[in-house]
Amino acid sequence: MSDLVGYLLTGLGIGSGFALVASGLVAIHRVTRVVNFAQGAFAVLAAMLTSTLLAAGLPHGLAEVGGVALGAAAGLLTGLIVLGPRRDSPGTTPGTALIVTLGLGVLAYAIEVLIWGDQPRSFPGVPGVAEIASARVPAHYLLIIGVAAPVFLLMALFFARTDLGKALSACASNRYAARVVGIDVRRMGLLAFALGGALGGLAGVLTTPVQQVTFDSDVTLIVNGFAAAVLGGLTRPVVALGGGLLLGVTQTLAAGYGGGAYQVEVALVLMLTVMIVQAARAR
Amino acid sequence: MRLLLLGAVTLAIPPLLPERHLATFVLFALTATVTVGVSLLMGYAGQVSLGQAAFYAIGAYAAGLLAVHGAPPVLGLLLAPVVAAVAAVLLGAPLLRLRGHHLAFATLAVQLILLSVLASADWAGGAIGLQGIPRLVGDDLGYAYAAIVVLTLAVLVSRNVIASRPGRALRAAATSEIAAAASGVPVGRHRLAVFALSAAMAGLAGGVYAFYLGYLSPGSFPVLLSIEFVVMAVVGGLGTVAGPVVGAGVIIVLVQLLNTLGTQPGMPGYAPSVLSYAVYAIVLITCVLYLPRGLVPALRRLRIPSRAG
Repeated sequence: MSDLVGYLLTGLGIGSGFALVASGLVAIHRVTRVVNFAQGAFAVLAAMLTSTLLAAGLPHGLAEVGGVALGAAAGLLTGLIVLGPRRDSPGTTPGTALIVTLGLGVLAYAIEVLIWGDQPRSFPGVPGVAEIASARVPAHYLLIIGVAAPVFLLMALFFARTDLGKALSACASNRYAARVVGIDVRRMGLLAFALGGALGGLAGVLTTPVQQVTFDSDVTLIVNGFAAAVLGGLTRPVVALGGGLLLGVTQTLAAGYGGGAYQVEVALVLMLTVMIVQAARAR
Repeated sequence: MRLLLLGAVTLAIPPLLPERHLATFVLFALTATVTVGVSLLMGYAGQVSLGQAAFYAIGAYAAGLLAVHGAPPVLGLLLAPVVAAVAAVLLGAPLLRLRGHHLAFATLAVQLILLSVLASADWAGGAIGLQGIPRLVGDDLGYAYAAIVVLTLAVLVSRNVIASRPGRALRAAATSEIAAAASGVPVGRHRLAVFALSAAMAGLAGGVYAFYLGYLSPGSFPVLLSIEFVVMAVVGGLGTVAGPVVGAGVIIVLVQLLNTLGTQPGMPGYAPSVLSYAVYAIVLITCVLYLPRGLVPALRRLRIPSRAG
């Protein structure tokens, strides 16, 4: 029983990371129809910068904010390249955009190896072990859940209550109609990219203390994030949140009870099954 | 006539190359073979595969395992594309229901699963790898010619598929699936056939690769390799016969040049990998943004007006 509670809490912690990557993907996709392959790279960049800032003596909190800011900046830059630098530039089609963001992900490799080298990096998170219902869980997992939950709440409020959030949702549901009522669709797209970058960065900053990060960790992050987001058809943030948590819990349960060998396969097979079932139901 | 000339030039290249560049040439011909398949898949069937290295690995491991267990190397080489194609049919039947980025991520997932399975499979050497694969031919020159034969085969097959009735049907389906299906094109079956064909090309190249290196490990087939195939196909020009070969050639030569530069004394140890990542990224992004149809169509457009004038 205490094992199960432990696995569930670690799973929710890891799952919150996936859910943050996934919601970044969703935020970008619903506004721009672009599936951003560089989403994992935002997390890696943010985590690497945070480790450097901490090593340079910056206090916790400030260093993490620096990392998230870099994620947002990288997101904005990606948006500028994908959507085109000028207001009237045609931008790229969604199919081409996947290829461009793929290229940007590889470009991030070059930058990361140049600045931080190719060895795994990490930094200390919340030390110690918490005891909940007689289960012992590293306290940092609770921090991940504790930060991710209000972020999701704020996002829900932002999309539902603020003008800016409503404008983003308007672009998501009908671009043409949004333009007719005077919303700058391109600027909203850039905003979505910056938001996606910040969310990706937050995921990287939060999970690095429990999972080391290397320059090519982005593949695992993006695949898990996509798996979580695809549950909601890449357009529903709440389902992406649920998908991420489900994925995290499934992985830790598989790792805990299955001897740790099959956790990658479990997540991937789950994603493939979901996509195939969705495709079969769509026709 | 032009084809004969091209063939003669290609056959004359390997003996003139020094040992060091011969290895690059073999790598180029094998990579180009896989890229021909990727280009066929992306350009004609409109499907992005981010897991083509999985079929390269399947071919390589099939050939390697057969040879290690005493089968004649030629048999292993012949079976490599067959095994890869069968795997593609089995995987493709459910996966090809997916479109666009869903398919891209599904193929990526398949490769990650394969790598994870190979790394934990004792019969395949596990994470350490499969060792002691016998050689197919004596020296590197022999491998260069083997690689040329494989590449020629892939290019000829791709050329004939493009010119064939199913090829036209596929082009129609890539433009509008509904219109093609309404005109009586069995879209699903054609897609599966191209998927299997491109996997067979990757498998065949993988077979030669296994005998060339004599050693295979899951680390030889990273996700980045699949991305590299896509980069080469896009840079060369999707849906052209020469595109993948030109794309693979340009990128491999660039990476090799920068590699030489990066390993000069005085350069930091990380320089080669940084430079090669940067090449892939920058060439791909500039190409997609400024030459969206790729190098070969762009060159062709340059040449036609000059001939008229």
